[in-house]
Amino acid sequence: MSNEIKISMGILSVGLVVLVTYWFMVEGNDSKSLSPHKRVEERIILPQYSTKTYGDIPEVKEYLKDLKKVIQSGQAVLPLDDSELDSSGVLAQKILLKNKAFLKDTIRNGKPLHNDMMRIRPAIVSVLSDSSKTICETHKCYQAEKYNYVTNTTTRAVVDIDNKKVLEVTNHAGMQPDISLRLTHIAQAIALNAPEVAKELKRTPRRQDMSMANVRGALQGSPCQNSEHLCVAPTFSDHKNEQALWAIVDLTEMTLAAAKWAGLGKTTTPACISERSLQNRYIMKNFCEKDTHLEKNGWTLDYRLTGSDGLEIINVEFKGQKVLSTAKIVDWHVAYEGKGEADASGDVVMAGRQVEFVKGDEGKFFFGYNDAMGCPMFSTSVVLPFNGPLVKELYDEQKQKVGFYLTQDFRNPKWPMACNYRYENRFEFFDDGSFRVVGVNKGRGCGENAIYRPVMRMDMAFSDKENFYKYDGSWKKWLTEQSDFQKDAKVYDQNRYLYKVTDKNEKKGYYIEPNRGQFHDDSRGDNATLFVTKFKEGEGDKDLLTLGSCCNLEEDGVERYVSKNESIDGENIVLWYVPRIKNDARAGHEYCWADTVIDSNGNIEVRTFPCIVGPKFVPIK
Amino acid sequence: MRKYLPIIISLLVVAGIAFVVINKKNNQKTKHKTEEKFTIGNFNKQKSCARHPEFLKQLKVTQPITIDLSQQQFKGLAFLWGKNFSKVIHPKAWETYEHFSTYALDEVGNVYLAPMPFISIKSTTFNLQKNIYKLDSKTGKLDIWMNFDDVHPSASNPYGIISLVYDCDDQTLWVSAIDESDYKSQKGVIYHVDVKSKRVLQRVEGFDALTITLLKSEKGKFLLAGSARENALYAYAIENKTLSKNAERILELPSAQEHIRKINVRGQNLLELQTIPFSYTLIAQTSEGSERNHYSAKWDSSSLTWSLVKK
Repeated sequence: MSNEIKISMGILSVGLVVLVTYWFMVEGNDSKSLSPHKRVEERIILPQYSTKTYGDIPEVKEYLKDLKKVIQSGQAVLPLDDSELDSSGVLAQKILLKNKAFLKDTIRNGKPLHNDMMRIRPAIVSVLSDSSKTICETHKCYQAEKYNYVTNTTTRAVVDIDNKKVLEVTNHAGMQPDISLRLTHIAQAIALNAPEVAKELKRTPRRQDMSMANVRGALQGSPCQNSEHLCVAPTFSDHKNEQALWAIVDLTEMTLAAAKWAGLGKTTTPACISERSLQNRYIMKNFCEKDTHLEKNGWTLDYRLTGSDGLEIINVEFKGQKVLSTAKIVDWHVAYEGKGEADASGDVVMAGRQVEFVKGDEGKFFFGYNDAMGCPMFSTSVVLPFNGPLVKELYDEQKQKVGFYLTQDFRNPKWPMACNYRYENRFEFFDDGSFRVVGVNKGRGCGENAIYRPVMRMDMAFSDKENFYKYDGSWKKWLTEQSDFQKDAKVYDQNRYLYKVTDKNEKKGYYIEPNRGQFHDDSRGDNATLFVTKFKEGEGDKDLLTLGSCCNLEEDGVERYVSKNESIDGENIVLWYVPRIKNDARAGHEYCWADTVIDSNGNIEVRTFPCIVGPKFVPIK
Repeated sequence: MRKYLPIIISLLVVAGIAFVVINKKNNQKTKHKTEEKFTIGNFNKQKSCARHPEFLKQLKVTQPITIDLSQQQFKGLAFLWGKNFSKVIHPKAWETYEHFSTYALDEVGNVYLAPMPFISIKSTTFNLQKNIYKLDSKTGKLDIWMNFDDVHPSASNPYGIISLVYDCDDQTLWVSAIDESDYKSQKGVIYHVDVKSKRVLQRVEGFDALTITLLKSEKGKFLLAGSARENALYAYAIENKTLSKNAERILELPSAQEHIRKINVRGQNLLELQTIPFSYTLIAQTSEGSERNHYSAKWDSSSLTWSLVKK
């Protein structure tokens, strides 16, 4: 082989190797440029500590002190410190704090409402009306923004500094402005002091690790409390792992609202940060998509959120003994009494619900709806869970720890506005093996004549064969499916127990102690109807859609399951317990009610008057 | 010279291959860049073939006319007309199939309607979500027009058929259903249905469209889809009456809770979007007032960006 041939083969070989290398090298680079950010799995953190945690932060404390001083002096607007303003800004603030139009929305019923002056700066052309634009071409003009925390409204004003005159005032309801430097520092301080943030970062957070990229850049909707509060999201970047911790700080409540870990890419834009959507995703992932196991004080159980039956506990055992297969509140029937003829000719919708009308006696009618509680996404619920189920310690009236309880808060997003409701599903577990299924209603109804009926379902699990008894001076066994009006009972065993359920051999069992106000929780009693049915899979074992009428007070909805009067003697039985509560809105007597007042800081304070119902199950010894 | 011919040939071969390789790579790069900046191009409002039902003429109903599906005052559908839309046509029979979410008019005035679960679940609710309904142009009679037996609403997702739009070009309906989706996976379906034969021409899976509409631009024909899962608007290209398999994201709304419920092409490069909070529960649809937002979305072809203005 000649040298020329060898050289040409060499050229071909080297050339091909170089081209192949080039091909793959470029391929690799291209791939990288198409996905510049590492994909980081989103992780959501909801607040675990009370808002009081933040009250002692010096920046918060000082702010609240200044606010109180302003409100007590009869003023409503917390002004900007002169250090945040130039001399024209100081003048603009002085003019505005005396301007009636600017201050128009700051007083309600003689009470000052919490307002903060947020920014005062030279006016930019885009915010000026045509007439102001003409004046501001030759005069020095400043724009100012204040925020009303109670009405969630931003007021913007333009001031002609040369003529010391307010040129225009506009109100922007539901909008939040850029926040002041002072509030920026407060938001940072809250994020830096949030125990949840420190826990996530695994160290004490430092100011230099934090940025506030998404402080409001223009008037826009807030990311928290369904856009009703003023919120910002300071961010802690972890460049090494290409992720960032976003802390949503609620400046209306002065607390951490939520936090989330996310990648540094486009998905971390403020659009992806919303307290409600974070809560929804957190709750779905942790409590709707899977069961959670709990072991405490001898009790073991699993719990989950259902599609429309609220919080459900399953496979409950005490010290190794089976107690309950499942317990839940499947519905809240809400009925109101009206007088005269009901106009049910068309569909009536009240606060987002379809209203049902039922004719009553003596010229009365009842109207209302059924409230299903459940998962915040992919469900038929209309009352949504807030902040996931919580486990808390249980104390008696002597403040002695006697057990624990598992609770879930459900709310209409607009609670405590009229016709929006807040319910709590609670299961109390006592150290002596007793337990209580509890429904809590925190109002607020549409009026003062509401009748609430939570429908509780409990499937006991001592064995497959159970017996049920009612006490009427002596214990009488029920042989068939039936119901009983607890409210009509005259006698109770040991002055406590009206029913009992045992295994077939009567070796194990529980007394049922209806609530007659003896549980020291200001309850006015259950006034319940109890049903006992033979277990059937299609009768509430899975998620139940609406059960019966909201407003036919003659029926609770469970009647359909006892209509055949099947035998329950030695069968697997299910207990249904339907308390009946009448709300009360009279001053000093409020019950199942909520109200809002303006507090000493000019902020809205929600006052709740819960009504608490549900039977206690006490082991037979 | 001849003895160097193999070397010259090998150099030419390497140069030729290099030319092909480099060109191909450059083409790929350009393609990637184009893909990164998917746009629908300049567009304008098109004249629609939609006509109001003929029975309205018999009833001497005059313009302006609007179809009310808000479900606030009337269950089902109602025609509002006259000054300030103060006059109403709403026979009780139009309540038979409960609540509707969107409608589409064809060129002879038939109204096609997509259902919607609203507030309360009844025993009939889930079955009603499996159908498209038709209000006959001549008679005003409301009936089930087509049933989809592969649509299965349930307690964990009460929605079924949710949106539709009439295609004047080929007398077909584009229909979206979101029943199969759950928290973990997006399994929505877009159907292309021939109106005459009621035959499903195409079925594209994997996207939950809360609303759909058609748009023609300098780049061709698109089906715009408001995502039920994200705060974003997507576009499917339509070529030869066939929907592309994948939707391209074209714009994002400012809040994560907002989902596009209505899309209207308002003018030159201008869309109007109505948004609601949506989470596959019933509460979303019942939200009123401040929960609903309206945006103008303006396409700027020079900067290839959308500007959003909340109204």
